[in-house]
Amino acid sequence: MKEFMLLIKNQGDGKAALSPEEQQQFLKACQVYIEDLMKNGKLKSAQPIIREGVILSYNEKSFTETPFDKTKEVQVGYYHILANDLDEAVAIAKRNPEFAFIKGATIEVRPLKMLEQTTQFRYPTK
Amino acid sequence: MITSSDNIPQLVDHLFRHEAGKLVSVLTKIFGPQNIDLAEDVVQDSLIEAMEHWQYKGVPENPSAWLFRVAKNKALNIINREGYQRKYESEVSHFLKSELTLDPALNHLFSDQEIQDDQLRMIFTCCHPAISPDSQIALALKTLCGFSIPEIAKAFLTTEENINKRLVRARQNIRDANVSFEIPRGNELEKRLNTVLETIYLLFNEGYSASKGNDLIRYELCEEAIRLAQIIIADNSIQRKETVHALIALMFINASRFKARQDYDGNILTMEEQERSLWDRQMLDTGIGHLSEASQNNSISIYHILAAISAQYSIVASYEETDWKNILSLYDSLILLDNSPIILLNRAIAVSKVEGATQALAELEKIKSNPAFKSYHSFYSTEAEFYMDMADYKNAIISLEKAIELAPLQSQKELLGKKLKFCGEKIF
Repeated sequence: MKEFMLLIKNQGDGKAALSPEEQQQFLKACQVYIEDLMKNGKLKSAQPIIREGVILSYNEKSFTETPFDKTKEVQVGYYHILANDLDEAVAIAKRNPEFAFIKGATIEVRPLKMLEQTTQFRYPTK
Repeated sequence: MITSSDNIPQLVDHLFRHEAGKLVSVLTKIFGPQNIDLAEDVVQDSLIEAMEHWQYKGVPENPSAWLFRVAKNKALNIINREGYQRKYESEVSHFLKSELTLDPALNHLFSDQEIQDDQLRMIFTCCHPAISPDSQIALALKTLCGFSIPEIAKAFLTTEENINKRLVRARQNIRDANVSFEIPRGNELEKRLNTVLETIYLLFNEGYSASKGNDLIRYELCEEAIRLAQIIIADNSIQRKETVHALIALMFINASRFKARQDYDGNILTMEEQERSLWDRQMLDTGIGHLSEASQNNSISIYHILAAISAQYSIVASYEETDWKNILSLYDSLILLDNSPIILLNRAIAVSKVEGATQALAELEKIKSNPAFKSYHSFYSTEAEFYMDMADYKNAIISLEKAIELAPLQSQKELLGKKLKFCGEKIF
């Protein structure tokens, strides 16, 4: 098993257009999705990322804090999952309810660099 | 703590619609009515934050408290943010800037009683006479009822851009007229309350009128209209509420026939054509209850009479038993308060039942010159019905042709076309 990050991104106002029925259905679909991943031992963790904070930059000995722009593309959460290969990780990402409900949502599927690759340590599989 | 998954739909629906309305009201109090847009933004951000949290962690046991806490923090951040300069300030914002007064001020602002009052203040703000009626409705739906712009557009069968324009205009009207966030007092109250009730009734009728639009969302408009009126009823700062009770009675009695009111093509059905088993008995009883509350202190309004007329159809076992004499005398009282064309037309129908079609046609003749009827198909289809009652099919055909020309819906044209064919067969 390899580890992957599914990085969820929304257009700033992607969730604002949902009706209450759609909001309910969305939450319900997420619950089903997460439960399914857990049941199959595919989920290591999943977290929302709050639409707040700053963008920090450093230039000539001083820091600049730019307010985070929540109206543009926003990283809103991530799933840390286990999959056999990129294809399976992509298949898992495709089932994510973001696509069915949130207009303009994207998911970046990225393999994590594993410890085993440098130390020959075999990551325990479940 | 996570509640069981079965609870999610009901919980979230209630929360996202109505808690949003409460929050926008409280935040408008904090930011001032000139900054309603800011209050709306904070609430939307809070709702999205809630959704994105619950999406991973499940819905908490007390989602409402969760949501309020998030919104409270966001509001404080805005008020304390350095460089935050708004042109307008509310009377309470300075309490929130001092650590000494912050906590008691927040406790007070977010108490149940204050939230209740703020919703009422919000109703008066949305229905301020400086705002045009269609903008009033859009603003009330957006702020108090938690409708999104796409939903409002769907409900009114118009574009999102159009609704957005109405909202922008409404907020600008509030700034221009420097509307204050309070419940009017004294003589002003009655006048302003009348405007509020008119807007609520308009909102109800938007939902109730026949249309090919989405029936689910139209029913919600009716529900929201009733809910707004109930907020007024629940508040203690208004003493005389007979007219509000009358309006609620009217809305409940009409809403009890919601499922039966139109056919599959969106044509409104007459009382005679409606399937009575689809009428909601419980809603009717609630309506009748409010009607008796409304009758205290001998008060009278168009809503009293309209509710009484509407109730007449429901309190008898069948259409044949309808007490037309009683209905006509109610219409006679009604036209003293409101002689709008639609009421005069409905009165003529009552006349036809009590005094016959000839007399009813004479009534129509009296009001025919009203310009509102020039483009109103129901006037001509009603006239045609009277001619048909008298077996005067030639004149019925003339009226039906006009009605078909004016009818906005294709299905209405088809229905009228069938009658036209019937009349044609009678002649040849």
